[in-house]
Amino acid sequence: MQSMCGKLRLVAKQAFNNLKNAELKPIASFDSKLFGCSIPSSAFNSSHRSNFASELLLSKNFGTTSCGIPSALRSCGGLSLATNHSVSSVLTLPNRNMSTSESTSQDVSVSSDVPPQRIKFKRLDKTARHIMQIIDKESVEEVKAAREMPVIKPGYTVQLRVEVPENKRRVTTLKGIVIAMRNAGLNSTFRIRRLVAGVGIESLFPLYSPNIKEIKVLDKKKVRRSKLYYLRGKMNALKKQ
Amino acid sequence: MAAASRGLVRRLNQFLLRSLSPSPSPSPAALYNTSQLRMFCAEDDSRVIEAKPGVMTRDSKRSGAIAVKCGMTALWDKWGARIPITILWLDDNIVSQVKIPEKEGFCALQVGCGQKKEKHLRKPEVGHFRAQGVPMKRKLREFPVTEDALLPVGTSIDVRHFVPGQYVDVTGITKGKGFQGGMKRWNFDGGPASHGASKSHRSIGSTGQRDAPGKVFKGKKMAGHMGVEQRTVKNVWVYKIDPARNLLWVKGQVPGATGNFVFIRDAVYKKPDVSLLPFPTYFAPEDEDPEKLESLVADIGDTDPFMAAD
Repeated sequence: MQSMCGKLRLVAKQAFNNLKNAELKPIASFDSKLFGCSIPSSAFNSSHRSNFASELLLSKNFGTTSCGIPSALRSCGGLSLATNHSVSSVLTLPNRNMSTSESTSQDVSVSSDVPPQRIKFKRLDKTARHIMQIIDKESVEEVKAAREMPVIKPGYTVQLRVEVPENKRRVTTLKGIVIAMRNAGLNSTFRIRRLVAGVGIESLFPLYSPNIKEIKVLDKKKVRRSKLYYLRGKMNALKKQ
Repeated sequence: MAAASRGLVRRLNQFLLRSLSPSPSPSPAALYNTSQLRMFCAEDDSRVIEAKPGVMTRDSKRSGAIAVKCGMTALWDKWGARIPITILWLDDNIVSQVKIPEKEGFCALQVGCGQKKEKHLRKPEVGHFRAQGVPMKRKLREFPVTEDALLPVGTSIDVRHFVPGQYVDVTGITKGKGFQGGMKRWNFDGGPASHGASKSHRSIGSTGQRDAPGKVFKGKKMAGHMGVEQRTVKNVWVYKIDPARNLLWVKGQVPGATGNFVFIRDAVYKKPDVSLLPFPTYFAPEDEDPEKLESLVADIGDTDPFMAAD
């Protein structure tokens, strides 16, 4: 029932839009004729776009200059630049929506200066965090695409080849058990415990660091904790576990 | 308001000088008339501000931009060194007002950032946007510029206004810290931990002299409210820009919390190379595809900083 209603509404909307479009098109072309002579430069600029788009652009130009700025001639160049921007954003929309967006921008530019696209009113810190998440994800993907990386988990025994830039870029190899992982996007780290001369040594490595040249998983132990800090108390933990 | 009064003062000064220089000073009415005439003349041959690239001189001052602080992260450069990064988002910056010497008495550009609905703005603000013929903006900020760096109203300032590798100054409102003692607020040393110190480990110590002034001088640094002040971080290095999304990667910290507005200008001390900067701003070609823009990373040279240290 509901979908039926929706379909009916859609059909009605489309019919209405077609009607509107048909009405508006001669008006737009009239505007372009009227204004084409006064701003030849902008007409020239937009001539490479489709005919329809150029009409829209010109009529938009007309709308903004007529209602907005006291000295239209002074800032003509800047205006055409700005409006071009908005028009290009309109043009990127799929073809089906073209008629609606065009008609709204027509109405709006004549009545007031509200931009045609919908303004989202979200809290800025949320938008900012969202941006950070996207960038973080992208950079992780980039690193993963660039080099082969095995999945490592606590309990795995791994062998690393690490380049140390501070020490003349020497590559050292070290072997140890992963006792902790910290999953934080690009800043993910893992902690490795190994025995050097009978002394337990823990080291923390960023997972996506370009200085880690190779990670090789040697052994997989089944563990029931995510952090294996209890291994610190055990001597010879690597062998016995 | 402040801007208007500044312009008014400048105008008054001009008139005073003008009226003093001829020997017989005319009557006030005549003076008023001439001034009116002069004003009209100035507006008649109104200056044409064109959006076209110019030549930047050493004395030129470009407009700044408004950005949203998105947060901090860290990444590795091509040498494997880790750099702390703050990401700033230049959200739809456009010039919303041009202040010219003929009208306001000085040169400045008012830049607007973001979008806002009309119903969320006050009537005078809506009136301002209507009068300038620009869409409603979330944040406005005036940047003083030199006369050759003026831009027409409606010009968009995108992230390519800044060049990777240049230095910028970033102004913002710091995070609030609440009521803090002298050690945190003014970096005082506090008292000793032992040696008979009693209940004065973090106190500020003496606040003045003896009977001679007999008072604590004004401006003495004491405990009090800290934070929520405007601060400028100078010489912030621009690491990377992303023109497709208008994002700017800068090295290090900038004032304010995530989601706060910050204001970016060219650095005052570490001046960027004038031949590299787009002046007055970057004008995007009309036929460019915003999807295909590549992000630009600063050039960090061909010598390995780790090997060079040896």
